[in-house]
Amino acid sequence: MTSVAARDGKAGQMTRPAPLGRRRDLGWIGIPLVAVAGLAAYWLLPDDLALLTRIAASALFVLSLDLVLGYGGIATLGQAAMFGTGAYAAGIVAVNWNSDPFVMLAAGGLAGGLIALVTGALILHARGLTLLMLTIAVGQIVQEVANKARDWTGGSDGLSGIDPAPVLGLFRFDMFGRTSYLFALAVLVVGLVVARRIVRSPFGLACRGVKEDPLRISAIGGSPKSYLVALYGVAGVFAGVAGALTAVTSGIVGLDSAGFPWSAEALVMLVLGGTGRLYGAVIGTAAFMGIHHVLAASDPFHWMGFIGLFLIGIVLFLPGGIASGLERLGGLFRGKEDRA
Amino acid sequence: MTRTLRNALLGAAFGLALAAGPAGAATIKVGVVAPFSGPFGVVGKSFKEAIELYQAEHGKTVGNDTVEFVYKDLDQANPAQSKALSQELIVKERVSVLAGYFFTPDALAVAPLIDEANIPCVIFNAATSAITEKSPRYVRTSFTLWQNTVPLAEYMAKQGIKKAISAVSDYGPGIDGEAAFKATFEKHGGTVVDTIRMPLKSADFAPFMQRIKDSGAEAVYAFLPAGPATLAFAKAFNDTGLRAAGIKFFGPGDLTQEPDLPALGDAALGITTTFNYSRAHDSAMNKAFVAKHKEMFGSYDTVTFTSVGAYDGTHVIYQMIKNAGGRIDGAKAVESVKGMSWESPRGPLTIDPDSRHVTQTIYLRTVEKVDGKLENVEKEAFPKQPDYGYKLAK
Repeated sequence: MTSVAARDGKAGQMTRPAPLGRRRDLGWIGIPLVAVAGLAAYWLLPDDLALLTRIAASALFVLSLDLVLGYGGIATLGQAAMFGTGAYAAGIVAVNWNSDPFVMLAAGGLAGGLIALVTGALILHARGLTLLMLTIAVGQIVQEVANKARDWTGGSDGLSGIDPAPVLGLFRFDMFGRTSYLFALAVLVVGLVVARRIVRSPFGLACRGVKEDPLRISAIGGSPKSYLVALYGVAGVFAGVAGALTAVTSGIVGLDSAGFPWSAEALVMLVLGGTGRLYGAVIGTAAFMGIHHVLAASDPFHWMGFIGLFLIGIVLFLPGGIASGLERLGGLFRGKEDRA
Repeated sequence: MTRTLRNALLGAAFGLALAAGPAGAATIKVGVVAPFSGPFGVVGKSFKEAIELYQAEHGKTVGNDTVEFVYKDLDQANPAQSKALSQELIVKERVSVLAGYFFTPDALAVAPLIDEANIPCVIFNAATSAITEKSPRYVRTSFTLWQNTVPLAEYMAKQGIKKAISAVSDYGPGIDGEAAFKATFEKHGGTVVDTIRMPLKSADFAPFMQRIKDSGAEAVYAFLPAGPATLAFAKAFNDTGLRAAGIKFFGPGDLTQEPDLPALGDAALGITTTFNYSRAHDSAMNKAFVAKHKEMFGSYDTVTFTSVGAYDGTHVIYQMIKNAGGRIDGAKAVESVKGMSWESPRGPLTIDPDSRHVTQTIYLRTVEKVDGKLENVEKEAFPKQPDYGYKLAK
């Protein structure tokens, strides 16, 4: 996995000149770094695999939000609609037909992508606050449908009884969460590789163009809306897979998975990590959930206040997110080397 | 190859540590998952206070073993997070018993875990009947919607009410309540003229009040989640003149739980509910319980049904530890408390051997002012009520 990611990164670097200079160098390191850090965490924190699994699955979800927001400039507070749809689709498929984890992921991705395409085509003519409102509305509709369709989704009791089959028929999902974590990490790394390919493709560059100046894109003959709808659909696939991954690793899907707080939390994690960088999504998720976990474990009663302080600190001192801080740090070192 | 080997070694080490842990250690850990922060923080607080109160009364040791409680905050219904926290409690903290759980999905999420780890799970609240069907290692010391609603519907029929209407929030517990009410009330010769399901996020209840008025019902059975929704519903019921028109207001006791009563104010007066516990319950044991609470925490405002749920749950856990003689085996521990009976601040309790849910007295109460404070004053008692919903819902 690691080597594939590295090769992909290098190949991309050679064939295409970097439009963004320095950022690019970190870009290809990012993915193998995530894989290595993930594997290291597996050995170093064997007791915390439950948390790590949730971080990996959530990071994939935040990554989908980064595609939409960081590369398409689509302001959304309804990304959980795709996550929830994917999670429910995977759960329903597992409970009724086939509980193979890969089938569940495929079902989740398909459902997430479909709902994103359909709702995207309907709402993406709007921009700014109107769009933000519409995305919230879509999230609410999905959640209410899930609540109403109790026979399929279990309503507010949640869809339980999802018992995924062993991965490749070999590795059972055990109580210690070893299979869950490695599976989630593998899916996240593959997701990162694919996302990187997409954002560096002509399509990805066009989407960035739409973000910068939609008028110009139409002037040169492109259709901003269709680019955005396609990007929204692609991100929907990612969100759906992330939802399905959560269904696989936790064995249950609740209404919260399509809820507004989950969309908002993802946005916080993305902004924390840094938008438009892909690996910022991973850093932000790991930082937010890790700190949340440590604080909540040390003081389960008052931790929320500390989280608030931490966020305010980041916004004040690192407005571009943690990733931007790392980049600035990297730039600082390079600057010193140059001078020396 | 090496990795498989290492995995196997790691697994073996885990297994050994887990198996050896409780036997060697003199401390038995109990993991409590509940909301300790956010809007439902008061629930976790009442759990923790009840546990501390029980430990103050009965000591922190059972035999040679010290019982230690580990708290994990789960601020909202989030089953994936519930499972992750419970998994951490089992794997990292090596707890012998899991407890707590306020929301149904959070409790359901741990079924595969407790079965694999062979750990008992004592539910302090989550009230959907179906939960205890999902694993033989669940024991529950709270109540279910069916348990509270069946005696209420019977009482209403006995009062000579012929036509009633149900108005519930459109989510799991509300629909449970509606089903229990309709089945029981119609069995006793009444007619349910209409069943209204109100969207969970409704804030304006006037249209529903109109439907209740137009239906010609003599009484309404209502269930909404505790808090602002109930408040708005009760206010609308008064403001639109339904109370003045003589329509009677019934519901399960969640509607008028003690911490909400001050906010409900006089709009709550006269609401008749059935529930398993009222802070105003007239027994020596309850008076001692409330007094001890005030002594330890300075006030008894937070004492409510979640307090006794946790208090009696802790009693069950202590009993499991006592029966096991220091080393808890999930299936055997649950087996050992089946049929167990004891006296609680809420009255006599028995753990039903089939459903592993408490059989208890359900009280009919009316909200009245006692010494300037709103309380649920008990009017009648229906002893030995089981969970009527067990294996009934699909």
